Amino acid sequence: MKKLDYYRFRIIKDYVAHFLVYLSLVAALIPLFSILYEVVQRGISAINLNFFINPTPTVGEKGGGVANAIQGTLITMGFASLIGIPVGLMSGIFLSEYSEHKLSMVIRFFNDVLSGIPSIVIGVFAYALIVRSIGFSVIAAAFALAIIMVPIVTRTTEEALKLVPLSLREAAIALGVPRWKTVATIVLRSAKKAVVTGMLLSIARIAGESAPVLVTMGYWRWWFASLNRPAANLALNVFVFAMSPFESWIVLAWGSALVLILLVLGVNIAVRVLTKERY
Amino acid sequence: MAPKFEIEDLNAWFGSKHVLKNINMKIEENAVTAIIGPSGCGKTTLIRCLNRMHEITPGARISGKVLFNRVNIYGNGIDPVMIRRKIGMVFQKPNPFPMMSVYDNVAAGLKLNGIRDKKNLDEVVRRSLELANLWDEVKDDLNKSGASLSGGQQQRLCIARALAVEPEVLLMDEPCSALDPIATAKIEALIRKLAENYTVVIVTHNMQQAARVSDYTAFLYLGELIEYGPTKQIFENPKHELTERYLTGEFG
Amino acid sequence: MSRIIDSGLEELSATLHKMGELAYRAVLAAIIECVENKQVYSEICEISDALVLMADNVEDKAFELIARFQPVASDLRTIKSYMKIAYDFARFGRYALDVSYTNQKLGGIGNCDAWMISHVKEMGEKALKMINLSITSLRSHDAQLAEKVAQTEREIDKMYFDFLNKLIERADTTTKCAISSVLIVRYLERIADHVTYICESIIYIATGRKVVLR
Repeated sequence: MKKLDYYRFRIIKDYVAHFLVYLSLVAALIPLFSILYEVVQRGISAINLNFFINPTPTVGEKGGGVANAIQGTLITMGFASLIGIPVGLMSGIFLSEYSEHKLSMVIRFFNDVLSGIPSIVIGVFAYALIVRSIGFSVIAAAFALAIIMVPIVTRTTEEALKLVPLSLREAAIALGVPRWKTVATIVLRSAKKAVVTGMLLSIARIAGESAPVLVTMGYWRWWFASLNRPAANLALNVFVFAMSPFESWIVLAWGSALVLILLVLGVNIAVRVLTKERY
Repeated sequence: MAPKFEIEDLNAWFGSKHVLKNINMKIEENAVTAIIGPSGCGKTTLIRCLNRMHEITPGARISGKVLFNRVNIYGNGIDPVMIRRKIGMVFQKPNPFPMMSVYDNVAAGLKLNGIRDKKNLDEVVRRSLELANLWDEVKDDLNKSGASLSGGQQQRLCIARALAVEPEVLLMDEPCSALDPIATAKIEALIRKLAENYTVVIVTHNMQQAARVSDYTAFLYLGELIEYGPTKQIFENPKHELTERYLTGEFG
Repeated sequence: MSRIIDSGLEELSATLHKMGELAYRAVLAAIIECVENKQVYSEICEISDALVLMADNVEDKAFELIARFQPVASDLRTIKSYMKIAYDFARFGRYALDVSYTNQKLGGIGNCDAWMISHVKEMGEKALKMINLSITSLRSHDAQLAEKVAQTEREIDKMYFDFLNKLIERADTTTKCAISSVLIVRYLERIADHVTYICESIIYIATGRKVVLR
């Protein structure tokens, strides 16, 4: 009799645990889906052909689009990645391969500090360093965004490389492959998926950054002109349009938000497809 | 016949731990030399000193000489990378590169060292797999992942990979300890075959395996070389009491 | 798949066949000596010594195989039997030497009655044929042939007692001839016994059955 009670108790515990797990899952998904729902519902009305081929409208102008903002965002992100990813990747490799090195301890500490610095502070830093000499520009914004990327890429690369089993490195080294080549080929290839995921995370992170862009890029509603001039930006579009008094601009803000989300999603999917395991 | 290796006063440390003490031994060419002894006696360290793999562990160092073809591999101006191409290694756990096909695994050593000629690679891959008694089993699956093979096949793949760079010596660190008896028997037969053209040094914690595959056996205990001689003599008539006691299972 | 132990077993069996041939040659020489009154003692002595040495080698090699390769089942039966067979072959050499020794020391039967010579010759030929067949059956581990060979042993036994009876009946020969001839047929009879042991060993290798064929 007692045994049966115990058995029942166990079954109940099992149900409760299951219930809590599913509840947490739903709780985690609700904000995500409500954001998606809201953005899609409100932004979809802004979407049409003009939206994708026209630049920012002037005040009072009907129609207009975000084509220049997409262009500017992509260029800025690309330029930031060009600086941030190599630096982060190499620091990550150094940290994982020379884990015991004294310099590694220092780098790791400051990397952690860097990743905790608010992005607006980084923006102000870039402002002081670059904007004050060459003015609001894509270069300044990309520089600020790159600084945000570096700690993310460094940390994820280090973690990913450390997960590659020692036996694989030894296998390569025992074949007479020099160490740098072992890291560049065998180790990086084994950790490819995780490393690329880290890069993707960092790109997704900067795609939506608006504060540092605000203080380094300034506002620009024309097509991209030059790297040392400002460029339009989707995140800034959301910021500027959403606070405007014009109904048509508010719609554009929702549209920009939707495009931003689709962009991040697109990058995600593209990388998933590209890094798909062959085996 | 000159010995392939002459080890002179070899000492090895991990940090402050003295793991090999004054090892002196000669390893014969084109023969199988087995190194046996209880866990932690320094067997693995000893063979890792033979192709300079010991030093890649942080805090590891050695003193003494290891003459390979009469040249001290720890001498000035000796490139460890070149040494490792001449002296291949097979590890305890089969470790094919998981993101590479069977073909690429075997070709890895050459490709990573810059050889790209397809015809040449094809030939080397085939020859190495045949030598490792694996060709017949994988010839239709060369593009499959190396990790998709069975454990025993993976280990033979690792042997083929090591053979592809045309080493003179094959060091094997407990190559069968993760394998079942049938796969083990296949590897052992393969080792005998390889001994016709290669110098093989095998570490094993299975003394029956040492008895089966080796021509010479070295018994290591607490970092010291206790006894070394022809396998037949070590197993039938050991000279040292410790060897006798280890072989008869009194300790170990 | 060829196994590591196989090369050792092959080596053993090759040594054994060489021993068989030598043993055959020794017995043949001893019989020719008896019948034709030739001097071959030193040659047989050499062969016999070689056989003893080889039997020792077979034992050593067998021990090595046991110590190193953990033989089981048919491998173990083979090794155990090969050791015994090697001893049997060494005995052939020893008996051939005894026959030759008898010829040397006692003068042999070359000048004795013709019936004695022909009887010894017939028995010797039969024994040689048995040795030959046992070597053949050893080569292929042929249990059936081994069983057949062992049958002949009874015939040799019969010939042995026939000879003794005849000798007693006639009692007209010299003591020297009598002693020599009795020893010689006795040795031949012992050789036939050892052939039977070999056959028993072959059957044991092939089937795992322990049989007594005498």
